[in-house]
Amino acid sequence: MTHGVLRRAARALAPTAALLALSALPAVAQDPDPFAKLENNRFAVELLIDSANAAGLPSNPLREVALQGIAKHADGRKIVDAVRKELGLLRIAREALSTGDEQELTAAASVLRAGAKPTQLSTFRARKKGRTVLEPFIDWADFLQRGVPNEEAYTAITKLWQDGADDDTFHSLWTNVKADISQGLNPGTALQNRIREGPGRASPATVKPPEGQQENQSSR
Amino acid sequence: MTSAPGGWVIAKDMSDDAADVQRVLAGDVDAYAALVDRYYDRCARYAVRMLGNRDDAEDALQATFLRAYRALNRYQERDRFSAWLYRILVNQCRSVAARRAHRDRVFIREEALLLNAPDRTPNWSGEDEEFVQRVLNELDPLLREAFLLKYIDEMSYEEMSALTGVGISALKMRVKRACDRLRERWERIKDD
Amino acid sequence: MTDSELHPYVEWIAREARRPVVTDQAARDRVMAAVRAEPAPLHRLSIWSRLLAPRAFTFSPAGGALLAAGLVGIGVFAGSMALNRDGRMSVGRPPVAVAPQLPVSNTLVRFVYVAPNANQVYVVGDFNGWDTTKTPLVRTASNGVWTVALPLSAGRHTYSFVVDGSWSADPHAPLAPDDGFGHANSVKLVRGGSSL
Repeated sequence: MTHGVLRRAARALAPTAALLALSALPAVAQDPDPFAKLENNRFAVELLIDSANAAGLPSNPLREVALQGIAKHADGRKIVDAVRKELGLLRIAREALSTGDEQELTAAASVLRAGAKPTQLSTFRARKKGRTVLEPFIDWADFLQRGVPNEEAYTAITKLWQDGADDDTFHSLWTNVKADISQGLNPGTALQNRIREGPGRASPATVKPPEGQQENQSSR
Repeated sequence: MTSAPGGWVIAKDMSDDAADVQRVLAGDVDAYAALVDRYYDRCARYAVRMLGNRDDAEDALQATFLRAYRALNRYQERDRFSAWLYRILVNQCRSVAARRAHRDRVFIREEALLLNAPDRTPNWSGEDEEFVQRVLNELDPLLREAFLLKYIDEMSYEEMSALTGVGISALKMRVKRACDRLRERWERIKDD
Repeated sequence: MTDSELHPYVEWIAREARRPVVTDQAARDRVMAAVRAEPAPLHRLSIWSRLLAPRAFTFSPAGGALLAAGLVGIGVFAGSMALNRDGRMSVGRPPVAVAPQLPVSNTLVRFVYVAPNANQVYVVGDFNGWDTTKTPLVRTASNGVWTVALPLSAGRHTYSFVVDGSWSADPHAPLAPDDGFGHANSVKLVRGGSSL
């Protein structure tokens, strides 16, 4: 959707949206103790959260995993396992990326969960100020979920990264590959095709062409 | 006495231990292996929980069973072998801890050595063991010792007193303080 | 012998600590190897020698004999813990978690789900504490399109839809792997100062 369409839609729904938006704000009085549902398993969960704090790792992601598990009515033991796994992944992510940024660590944990290898993350360690791995990792994790083999996904993502591609470029790559896969193309093939021809080409959305590439100017 | 699964075996009667001691004293060294097998795991659990890492625990265990062997002729049949052994164990753990504290103080002073310090990472069996151990490590050693003997080895205060040489009321106070600390800790964890 | 008045957390710690510790045969073998290298312990030769031998291991509180045997007394033990909380020396300092350095201002983000036959659609995610009833979508006039707009902080957000009680990922957003509960989630990256 273009910016203009979105604006108009937002204005039309503004009163309702405003009401609903307020309801999404963090609860103050709603549920003072969501972890109570964990019963005895809460000790393990709280201890894991505390361990994250002690290790200088972000603890919010662990809380979120627990809340998610509770929402999905998962077994208490499963929730503890999931929280423990998240802590482990955050540790590995920090080791590999050498960052303390909560968002980047969570994104890295996610892509590890999806099947990426820790050593592969190290490729993204050195980066200029202002550049984040969020979009690349989000897209990488998605490709893995859709069946792209990890080596191919890694190759594609790192190629773009090293070419200096920005978030929009990564995002439009994702959009195109997803569309191709949904039309029946083999996931690995779809990705390779799009990388080869340059990710900025033939996308429905408005896209800035990747820096340095002159041939694949997308039409606006 | 309860039996922790895989923890330790209750000797069917004391004569199992006493009989093995007799055999060792009569010259059958291999009979000592039976005693080691019977008590190693349980002692290991105490040592690991007390010292917080496997390497130190093994040092303490090695020293314990060696000293017990040397002192075997002074074991009195009327005493429970496990209690007698535990007395040595508790003291060996204190020894190892004291040596470790001294060694670590030296490391603090000497940065170069610090860089080459071996990484004493424990290899735990249980998945949450590391986290529970961290909580135990935070207890003052004397409180931790009392807590472990009371709630992990499930001894009576009389046994604990005989073992540690500390009076019963003092031990009760230490156990209570340990529980208080843990409870306070929980309040802080919960509110974080 | 457990105190039934123990706080549940302390009870839990005790229970976990009671779990057996894995030991390996190699360690036990080392014990026996050391034992075999020792001179044989003295026999109890006669009643007389037993009576005459120093009664080192008694159950008197003094325990003086133990101290004499070279074991450490309580005084040395006290105040000896100068380690960090893990009980280890930390060599390098790993990077400490920092709060996200992203713009604080929220961005209005629209969630859309197409479900012509549904009765209720909710969006559930890290922005509403995974509360399954907090953020309903509203059915619009057109063709089973449900929607809601939420102010989200800049950065990465994980979420999913609940459609008439069933979890469903967003067909138009990148997928995030299942966190262990059997459903993959969706991800939105909110850029500072723009909306998707």
